[in-house]
Amino acid sequence: MTKEEFLTELQDTLQRDDQVLETDKLSDYEEWDSLSKMAVMAFFDKKFGKKVSLTELGSFKTVEDLIKFAGL
Amino acid sequence: MAQSKFKHVKVSAIATVVPQREISIYDELQYYGGNVKKVDRMRKMVGFFKRRVVDEGVTSADLALAAAKKLLSDSGVDKNSIDALILVLQTPDYPAPASAFSIHRDLNLPQTCIAFDVNLGCPGWVYGLQIAHSMIESGANKKILLLTADTPSTKVDVSDRQNAPLFGDAGTATLLEYSEKELNETFFDLGADGKGYEAIIIPAGGARLPLKFSREADYKYIAKIFEPIDTANGRRVNLTDKYMNGLEVFNFTTNVVPEKIKDLVKYANVSVEDIDALVLHQGNKQIVTSVCELSGFPLEKCSYKTFEDFGNQTVSSVPAAICHTLGEKISSPEGIRALCSGFGIGLAWGSCLISLSGVKCSGVSDFELTDTIQSRSQLIDYWQKKFKDT
Repeated sequence: MTKEEFLTELQDTLQRDDQVLETDKLSDYEEWDSLSKMAVMAFFDKKFGKKVSLTELGSFKTVEDLIKFAGL
Repeated sequence: MAQSKFKHVKVSAIATVVPQREISIYDELQYYGGNVKKVDRMRKMVGFFKRRVVDEGVTSADLALAAAKKLLSDSGVDKNSIDALILVLQTPDYPAPASAFSIHRDLNLPQTCIAFDVNLGCPGWVYGLQIAHSMIESGANKKILLLTADTPSTKVDVSDRQNAPLFGDAGTATLLEYSEKELNETFFDLGADGKGYEAIIIPAGGARLPLKFSREADYKYIAKIFEPIDTANGRRVNLTDKYMNGLEVFNFTTNVVPEKIKDLVKYANVSVEDIDALVLHQGNKQIVTSVCELSGFPLEKCSYKTFEDFGNQTVSSVPAAICHTLGEKISSPEGIRALCSGFGIGLAWGSCLISLSGVKCSGVSDFELTDTIQSRSQLIDYWQKKFKDT
């Protein structure tokens, strides 16, 4: 998966209307709630075979952190 | 590893009862500032849609009794032949005795039929099924009525948008019988992890934090217990409400349950292709699809429709999903092989691989309010008189 594909998939996962950018802060998203966090955990598990721990989930501050975690 | 298999037990009938009152998340736009888009998002992401909730005064035992009556009348089974009644629930009518006894009375079951409650939530039907299988295969019992029920809507405030749209009330009944003839084996894999004891919990109302007013000093604690707590995500709760760490539960579910389902498939020496349906606890759409995919099952074999139409019915969600989505298939003589899995509070999980054929399935029926449901005032008068007369 490329970075661009990742950003599109993330936008769909978060059910966000606006485009998702690498520099975006997650706390600025109205959609960054417990539902989204759950969806992101499932997204990493299903698409990358990676388990996100609750500590890791809490450490994600930007979209870039998510991209790094995905290993892209 | 708590694995077991049985070959002389058959599920012969199953029924689900839900309250008539249906609430759609679209009826509650006021809690989302009238923002339909926000509600659409929740529907798409989590599957929030409709749920059934009980009217004031209706309890879990009422729903379980109604499901039992529906099963008995549709299957035509002689109730005098039932020798055990197991009720799985976490909201008994009274702290003591077990609610199974009032159902025993109301069904007019014989003295030869034992009765007891099992305190379990979401994994409870599979646990109850395993207990019933063990009792029958051992020769101790021949015909067991397994009931499940919960009224989670009564434990959350309607303004609590994290939990209120999630849960639906329901009761189910399953009849299990001894078969002289050897049947397709039923396989179980059960487990528990007490380290997750506090992940889903109602802290007050039990023996640790009792709601008891016997001494003046108790008032101080009662006031504290009911003191409103404002949570980080904008909910107002108190210690008698259900606490759930949703992310921790989701994490446990996706880490543990798929592996346990794979273990069961291996233990039964079958492949995913040999299994017709995967019936998962209807936690929410995200949980069902994640567990399904991570367990290696195609999404076509698994449904979250019961969650969308009725909500998360906790202990009843697996049998309710069978009644709701597989009724015709399990009633046919050929039947199906289903892998059922329940998981959650405890934390605990239970999965079984079971052949279901020729089952008398009553589907999902509406609960009918009867005049035997007493109001709180009536009950208080009744019990005060009882105490005075002793």
